[in-house]
Amino acid sequence: MKYDVVIVGAGPAGTVTARFAAESGAKVLIIERRQEIGVPVLCGEGVSRKIDEWGMLEGKRWIACNMEGARIFSPDGTMVKLSAEMAGNETGYVVYRDIFDQELARQAAKAGAKIVMNTNAIDLLREKDKIIGVKAKQYDDEIEIEADIVVGTDGVESKIGQWAGIDTRLDPKDLETCCQYTLTNIDCKEAYCDFYLGNKIAPGGYIWVFPKGKDVANVGIGVLGNLSEAGMPKKLLDQFIANNPRLKNGNPIRFLAGAVPVANPVETVKDNIILVGDSARQVDPITGGGLTHCLEAGKIAGETIGMAIEQQQFDKETLSSYETGWKEAFGKKLKRNYMVKEIFLDFDDKTLNMLADSLKDIKFDEISTFALVKALVLKHPTLLMKLRPLMKISSEA
Amino acid sequence: MGKPKAIVDRNICLACGGCISVCPQDALSMFGGRALVTEEKCISCAICIRICPIGAISGRYAANEI
Repeated sequence: MKYDVVIVGAGPAGTVTARFAAESGAKVLIIERRQEIGVPVLCGEGVSRKIDEWGMLEGKRWIACNMEGARIFSPDGTMVKLSAEMAGNETGYVVYRDIFDQELARQAAKAGAKIVMNTNAIDLLREKDKIIGVKAKQYDDEIEIEADIVVGTDGVESKIGQWAGIDTRLDPKDLETCCQYTLTNIDCKEAYCDFYLGNKIAPGGYIWVFPKGKDVANVGIGVLGNLSEAGMPKKLLDQFIANNPRLKNGNPIRFLAGAVPVANPVETVKDNIILVGDSARQVDPITGGGLTHCLEAGKIAGETIGMAIEQQQFDKETLSSYETGWKEAFGKKLKRNYMVKEIFLDFDDKTLNMLADSLKDIKFDEISTFALVKALVLKHPTLLMKLRPLMKISSEA
Repeated sequence: MGKPKAIVDRNICLACGGCISVCPQDALSMFGGRALVTEEKCISCAICIRICPIGAISGRYAANEI
């Protein structure tokens, strides 16, 4: 069996890469180790409406709720409201990620990509030093799949990168360790994605409540790896739900664990190798959102693959137009937000409360950065010192 | 006696992959839909135990040391 491309992992990064590679003429195989695409849903399920412009998904079945915006709660409960446009990449729609992923897979198949399930990559296939495909386990059989390009869209625990000699190991301080419930029988009539901050609520992360209907929501927590202990995210989330009047009568219909890289991106191309999505750490280090990035990067990767096949060149230099492309699209933002993440981590609860108190009455759709900083500092002058590194970063950007 | 090695409780593990991504020794992998420790590679650093969001990993002494 010889393909132009073998893609390891049928999440959004894999299927979007597959679709655009197939559309530009490549013979594409996607392998997926699970028995159902999109399941389990390892995600808060929030995504920006920016995805509408890209037209990658048909129909509306994947949309659970339309969001008006986000509400951020500081440790003392002070609320800051943001419109969907201001709230970044995770607010716009709350989606059914299983249906969302399956719709993207359908588009890949329509473009001509072949998908096989229950097939787990176990190593790269090499001829001397050259990568010529992957070895995989399909049920009890070991199979060899030959391809000119291997795409690693195998998620946070990526092995493809590691096997190809890219250091994808994460420092615990660059990983959000998460768990989440889908809770029913709760009150979430208001169409806002809620974020709860605080060092006692979710050290180095946040708790989210994303409505998926009037009485059902995705409720989860992320804790920064180096601040966590065994089982801490689940304990803190259970505690939060039990003490929250809106959630405490809820019943779970789904419980899941997840891990989100909040790291600096890694090298994403090598000879015959491309990494896309969580495996490439294409995640916003502040919010932990990665969906929009992996769709954008997947399209660029697919188009780069098309070009490489036309030229029959699969070396790092040819494939690096993918790396240049995604870095132009959102690389700068990821780098900047990694620095902002580090600064935010130094904020204690008192600082977060002051920040929220200064921001709570501001209408964000009509304010300049200058006016924002002025408003912040007028109300709580001591914030000036804390915010100085942030202002430096935003003036450089 | 050596230090305890990591072991995944397969009844609790939800296959999020966090432990695999932080292991400095590549001692963890996904097997049969759950994380699995390769005991010979484990150096007892306990990073995976701390990172698990639901407490599915604990330390256990190797069989020949009990």
